[in-house]
Amino acid sequence: MAFREYKIGSRVFGLALGGSMCITLFFPSFNMREAVSTEIALDKQLTTGWDAGWNLSDPFMQGSNKPVRVWLESEGQYAYVYPAGTRMPNAVQHPDNLGAIVEKLSMEKGQLAKAAEKGRSNPDGAVFLIDIDQDSKQPYIEYATATRGWNAADVLNAAADENVQHIGAGKSMFVREGCWWCHTLLPEQTQDWQVFGAPPMLGDFNGESPTAFGSDRKGPDLLHVGSRNASREWMMLHFFNPRLVQPHSIMPRFDYLWGSVDADGQKIDFDKWRADYTAYRAGQSPVPPDVPVPAKDSKARALIDFVLSLK
Amino acid sequence: MAWIMTNPLATTNTPEQNERDKKLWESEDLGGITEDNNRLPVPVVWLLLLTTLTAFAVTFPLWGQRPTAGIYVNYIGSMDDPKVTSAANDVEAMKVLVEMHPDSASLMQSQLVRHPVTMDELRALRPQIEALKNGDDSGIARPCARTSSDLHDYTIIGTSIVCANFEGNFLKDQSGARIPAPDGTFLRQRQQPWWDQGYTIDIFYVIAFFAGVVAVVKRLPPSSWQPTHGHDH
Amino acid sequence: MFKYLFAKNEDIPAGSSAIFFGFSSIVWFVIGTGLGSFNAAKLAFPDFVTGNEFLSFGHMRQVHVHAVIFGWISMAFAMAMMYITPILGNTRLWSEKLGLWNCFLWNLGLTLGLTVLWMGLTSGREYSDFPWVIDLYIASCMAIPLAVNVWMTILTRRTQGIYTTNWFFAAATFMVIVVFVVGNLPEFFHLTGLTEAYLTWWFAHNVLGLWITPVAAAIAYYTIPKVTGNPLYSHRIGHLHFWSVVVFYSTPAAHHLMSAPLPEWLKSFASVEGVLILVPAIAFVSNIMLTMQGKWNMFVENLEVRFTVTGCLMAIPLNMQGGFQQTRAINWYIHGTGWIVAHAHLALLGFSTFLEAAAVYLGLQTLMKRKLYSLALGNVHFWLLLIGFSTYWISMTIAGLIQGAGKIYEVPYIDVVIAEHPYMIARWVGGTMVFVSNIIWLYNMWMTARAGTTVPAGRMPHEMAYER
Repeated sequence: MAFREYKIGSRVFGLALGGSMCITLFFPSFNMREAVSTEIALDKQLTTGWDAGWNLSDPFMQGSNKPVRVWLESEGQYAYVYPAGTRMPNAVQHPDNLGAIVEKLSMEKGQLAKAAEKGRSNPDGAVFLIDIDQDSKQPYIEYATATRGWNAADVLNAAADENVQHIGAGKSMFVREGCWWCHTLLPEQTQDWQVFGAPPMLGDFNGESPTAFGSDRKGPDLLHVGSRNASREWMMLHFFNPRLVQPHSIMPRFDYLWGSVDADGQKIDFDKWRADYTAYRAGQSPVPPDVPVPAKDSKARALIDFVLSLK
Repeated sequence: MAWIMTNPLATTNTPEQNERDKKLWESEDLGGITEDNNRLPVPVVWLLLLTTLTAFAVTFPLWGQRPTAGIYVNYIGSMDDPKVTSAANDVEAMKVLVEMHPDSASLMQSQLVRHPVTMDELRALRPQIEALKNGDDSGIARPCARTSSDLHDYTIIGTSIVCANFEGNFLKDQSGARIPAPDGTFLRQRQQPWWDQGYTIDIFYVIAFFAGVVAVVKRLPPSSWQPTHGHDH
Repeated sequence: MFKYLFAKNEDIPAGSSAIFFGFSSIVWFVIGTGLGSFNAAKLAFPDFVTGNEFLSFGHMRQVHVHAVIFGWISMAFAMAMMYITPILGNTRLWSEKLGLWNCFLWNLGLTLGLTVLWMGLTSGREYSDFPWVIDLYIASCMAIPLAVNVWMTILTRRTQGIYTTNWFFAAATFMVIVVFVVGNLPEFFHLTGLTEAYLTWWFAHNVLGLWITPVAAAIAYYTIPKVTGNPLYSHRIGHLHFWSVVVFYSTPAAHHLMSAPLPEWLKSFASVEGVLILVPAIAFVSNIMLTMQGKWNMFVENLEVRFTVTGCLMAIPLNMQGGFQQTRAINWYIHGTGWIVAHAHLALLGFSTFLEAAAVYLGLQTLMKRKLYSLALGNVHFWLLLIGFSTYWISMTIAGLIQGAGKIYEVPYIDVVIAEHPYMIARWVGGTMVFVSNIIWLYNMWMTARAGTTVPAGRMPHEMAYER
């Protein structure tokens, strides 16, 4: 049992662990690199922006520094608006995550490289679109600020409020409030699909971070929840107090995301609301108290926008 | 570091090295702990062998867990049968269909049991499936990169048909080369393969492991020898 | 503790850092299980404490997980390493001062990290939830100092051989650094998409496989021979165990994402390897059980042996579940259900906690040279912990099977929630028993330090268990 044995043992240990990491990290990296962004992935990446988890451009996770998605009625498509100062999406800094062909199209036809020249701080704001290349049928990102001269502030000002969706801020809320501890974003194999919809395909989440698939399900899968239930009103009641619309739900109340004032600028009296609700549950009142409509810039609005965007 | 292969089942060390090891083993105090030199009990060896075989056997996709678009094809083929069309209502018609195909391609039977279908769903699926069989995927919700007439490449979600999310083996053409897909990648099989490079790596990996452990263990003094532990420990 | 942080290394009594790590781990265990009990109450009764962001389930769930993993389990490991590693090398800990700083920085960093998580500031990646600045702190101020102390103690040992336990300690402290740094690469370099998802589970699997499981087992390799006085049954089986942990336990990460569009070959590979984690499990359990030959009376009579053997016995269902639940044939039924939650608690609150608790009991008594204050309270701790855990495990396993069946028969999800309700209450009751048992334990250990009978030199505390 001289020292020599341990020298050999250490080398064998290195070989064993290195071999294992080679198989589980190095080999699959080739397969994962090949993934080409689908239209779904481009939409997810452009709606959530740089990162929906903790990052330096939103250190207190207030949903700040996030893009908005705007429905352009005249064009019949979405614009992804990054107001001045908003951190550019992942594809601008790491275009290779788009996949070879989508990267090429975005660079050549979409002029994405011009967005990279602006730097990550994005001083003038940026507008992106998703287009389909007619020849290859592949989607690509169009940097509309360069190709069409669109200004972020102008696009935002021209849009009606119901056409503006704060999905990026909403995804931050989804992460911060721990929605993913109980709701997966990955329909399971087999029967699950009949209820919760199709599982994602390779390339459906290129550039998305975090993917927040979740693992421990205590409520339904949400990957396609917006297709099952597109009612903003229902979502509003459900987030304020899930027991209003589903008496057996075990979901927590997220009334604190409303902030202090409602959409009309009225102060929300939570104590009174709870007292009225308790009276309603005790049978002293035939109807539950009204749920305040969340303000435009409230966290609740953003979270609802995000959940409804999960088509 | 000589390897003595005269009796490799006992030890591959030289007698001198074994004597040195034995002496150290008996004299050294490792914090008041001593070790014996027993071999792995024979039943445990069998258990390990069984575990290794089971690991492969249980992982082979012998029973496809995921429903494919192919499982209802026999039902759809018999929808115009007079026995079905003359049934009193849809529920009866569905019963007739199920009875007409008692062992509907045995491997798919378990899937059919887990995925019951109604006549309304079959009516919605029928045109899509028939078009797919003819190589037309224009009517389905999410087609594959290359149209396939093999229905097992697709998955049924409710009444819509989508490409299965399997990233299986690469498809090869007649010369053995990979087939490029429109998006610049290569086409993959959309079914759970019975064999892929994962299993190949596994076999080499397991063999390397057991060979390595046997080599390590056979560098020790033979298991017929047991250290005598003094009271000073 | 603070007076020693700036003392000379020679002036610090041997075992100080292990004692501080030991008490810290128990305190974090109380906090972690208290949070667990609180969270479970919210799942059983959703309107229990509402309206406050910081007391909402989504903010507290990850605090429970990380308090238990980084506070209780990992600090108990550090405690065991700081006292067992030197003993097995017939030497002193390389640096008590580094050990004390390590303990101080660990408590500080964990408090900071959990506060950040509590505010909801998270990377959004399960088990690697800490933001990357906290990750860097954990690697540099918690994991690396511990590893340096363990390696240097082994290198400066006064024996020629290294006992099995110390192989595991040295390898695991190295592997956990590799796993931690590689697993957090997506946060350091903003890797996204499938790579991010895969590395999340690569980390989550390997931190269990290359840190928690081998270190817990290594502790048993010390506790059982030490307390029973039997030699370890087989040095050879120790080799089989060690090498199979390194080779097999480091590979099955992909089996956590069986329904994600990972390449199928990776799933096939991971799935076969996943069953092969039974190899280290069989080696470990058979080695410990055979070491117990002739001393099974101590399973009844001795608290540390009872904890350790119970933990080893739990390794059997744990690895049978772990090996087979990840195969394609079974995974589709139970993945994402309460079954997995039960399995995770079997690994952390069953198997590993019972082995560590024995090490903390044994180590604190040995180092403080004080006999356990009350064996009766120790027994109460054991049984409350075991019954509480079992209640939790059984209820969550049943709840998971209900969820699985709900999936198969396409039951509306709300009906599954209704069906699970009684099991959620049972889970809360079980979790609360665990919490209460740990308060008793903390009291017992505190009183051992204050008022335990002195153990004379040359005797082991457990030898005096039944002496007045």
